[in-house]
Amino acid sequence: MRRFSGRFRSSLIIGLQGIRARKLRTLLSMVSLFLGVSAVVVVEAGASIAERALIADLELTDGIDGTRILDMPPNDKAADIIVSTVKGRTDAVGALSVSGIVGEPGVRPVNEGGSPIDQNWGGGAMICSSDGRCVEDTSRPKGEAIEVRLTALTGDIRVFRPFTQVSGRWLDFATMPSMAPHLVLNREAAKGFERHHVPAEMRVAGATANLTPQFVGVVDDGDVRPSAYVRLDELANWLPASGLGNPNGGAEVRVMLAPSSPVEQVLTTKLRGAGVETYVSTIESRKHRQKELTLMRLIFFSMAGLVLLIGVAGILNVGLATVGERIEEFALRRAVGTPRMLLAGIVLAETLLTGLLTAAAAIGVCIAGLKVVTMVVGDSQPLLHNVQFPWEAGVAGIIAGLVAGILGGFVPALRAAGIPIATVMRA
Amino acid sequence: MSDPLIRLTGITKVLKGQQEPRTILDGVDLSVDAGESVAIVGRSGSGKSTLLSVIGLFDRADTGTYELDGVDISRVPERRAAKLRSSHFGFVFQRFFLLKHLTAAQNVAMALVNGQGWLPRRERRARVMEALDLVGIAHLAKNRPARMSGGEQQRVAIARALVRRPRVLLADEPTGALDTETGALVIDALLAATTRGCGLILVTHDRDHAARMGRILDLDAGVLTERVPA
Ligand SMILES: Nc1ncnc2c1ncn2[C@@H]1O[C@H](COP(=O)(O)OP(=O)(O)OP(=O)(O)O)[C@@H](O)[C@H]1O
Ligand SMILES: [Mg+2]
Repeated sequence: MRRFSGRFRSSLIIGLQGIRARKLRTLLSMVSLFLGVSAVVVVEAGASIAERALIADLELTDGIDGTRILDMPPNDKAADIIVSTVKGRTDAVGALSVSGIVGEPGVRPVNEGGSPIDQNWGGGAMICSSDGRCVEDTSRPKGEAIEVRLTALTGDIRVFRPFTQVSGRWLDFATMPSMAPHLVLNREAAKGFERHHVPAEMRVAGATANLTPQFVGVVDDGDVRPSAYVRLDELANWLPASGLGNPNGGAEVRVMLAPSSPVEQVLTTKLRGAGVETYVSTIESRKHRQKELTLMRLIFFSMAGLVLLIGVAGILNVGLATVGERIEEFALRRAVGTPRMLLAGIVLAETLLTGLLTAAAAIGVCIAGLKVVTMVVGDSQPLLHNVQFPWEAGVAGIIAGLVAGILGGFVPALRAAGIPIATVMRA
Repeated sequence: MSDPLIRLTGITKVLKGQQEPRTILDGVDLSVDAGESVAIVGRSGSGKSTLLSVIGLFDRADTGTYELDGVDISRVPERRAAKLRSSHFGFVFQRFFLLKHLTAAQNVAMALVNGQGWLPRRERRARVMEALDLVGIAHLAKNRPARMSGGEQQRVAIARALVRRPRVLLADEPTGALDTETGALVIDALLAATTRGCGLILVTHDRDHAARMGRILDLDAGVLTERVPA
């Protein structure tokens, strides 16, 4: 123990003396390594942030990982069963979608088929002749109306799809249902309504009358097409279950469930009893994206690795030059009894220390840089909003610094250990 | 009779270079007792420095035996050799080999901070000051080599050689770079160590310095012979 501590303390003293005597050199080797470690940290941070953004996007559109999805063909019995089973629950939410047109009566919407506002994906009403050829139905004029995907909810769907509120507020499920349905739009729908001043009248196929919705807020739901969300019970005042489950109205019926919700069993049994076929699936975005994510990381990391290699070459170069310069010192130290291994250890420790210091500096600069970037552009760039420095990037930086220190110090350490005393001291 | 401090028997050193092998040391026999001082003289290239390297365990002989205190150390592994260099030998060279980024005291302390036998800071400082005092330059402890004369620098080197209280001092032309007067001071410092029981082997070209040693040995083309006192 005493012997070990003697070695350790000696090497500490000698190493610090060495670094202090060569501040400029140490700084120089840090510069090249700094770039390498920064590259690794930036790539790792970028990959983590991109991965999180990608997953966050999927969570918005599909649902958070682990969510159970119950899909079924539109069917008026299904709608009733779902409403009666999941109403008031938080671990299961029914989402029944139909298409709705908001705007002037008697015109075709500007985005027929529910396309994004500036694109036409087709899907408008067609008139088909008996020989199978179809042409666009142009009997009605295009006008100030927008087609949205209207999703009626039995409860708060944000448990499964974490929408972010853009403005206004979200639907309140606790109040009495209003006769004028509250509508929350997504960004694309909001954009449409901003551009086209349409009268607030909504037509939904199968409704007893046109409704007068109240827009209460805008959310980001990850959908590029215009969509709107409404309380099912508010819509139901106007649209009977048969309308929600109408297969001709482009309806979709889906129930989202928490991973081990007891509702799943009850619901599938009831639906099966009613002759409704269900399709069950689980959201596993992370798993499905794993391959892509791994590939992305691999590509970025090989690039960063290359930069790091240059940094290692820098440390190696400076390390070798330093050993060359210190031949006399090392020979002298060996002459007064310092063991070879200790000398090698001191050289390695010096580069390791340099590597770690550099890594710490690079990580610090990257953290500060990210702070600045998010502060400057964070508001306009939702991807960068509220990003934290990923700890993985810090770990990657430390590892990069260690690896560079070992790689860059190994050869100089061997050189230092092999210096012959007799030849040097005779000179 | 007790064993001599060091005893070399039939030491040879052959240099296998690019050309045909050259014998540098050719069957050297030498024994030195504690407190004894020995001068080795000879022409340039006769092998004096090589002999000191073998004695100081910088280098190994090809054949022959080398005993230290009666123990054969001709084939000790490097780890053991490093330990012996630290515990038994002190070195002084023609060039002083001081580290210019360290003060005189730190240069002396480096023989203590060598990974062998740790001394606490307080004791280290006491030993360093004692060694600097022995060579008469304790007042220069905080100076760096660049601010010292050649004679002062060489005395720092001697203090560094003495600080571990070695059994043998090996000096390879320690006065070669100094004027006569300063050289004499350096020899004084070396001889003072022998009064404390340290063996001294001095390689020198200077007749006067050689004459101050107890014995003089001639090295000629690798062959060592004792000069019989006239
Ligand atoms: N590494 C080496 N490579 C080649 N030749 C060497 C080497 N080391 C020593 N020699 C040769 O060995 C011989 C003895 O060298 P050494 O340094 O021992 O001489 P010396 O007596 O100390 O001379 P000087 O008085 O000039 O210091 C010389 O001829 C030298 O050229
Ligand atoms: Mg010589």
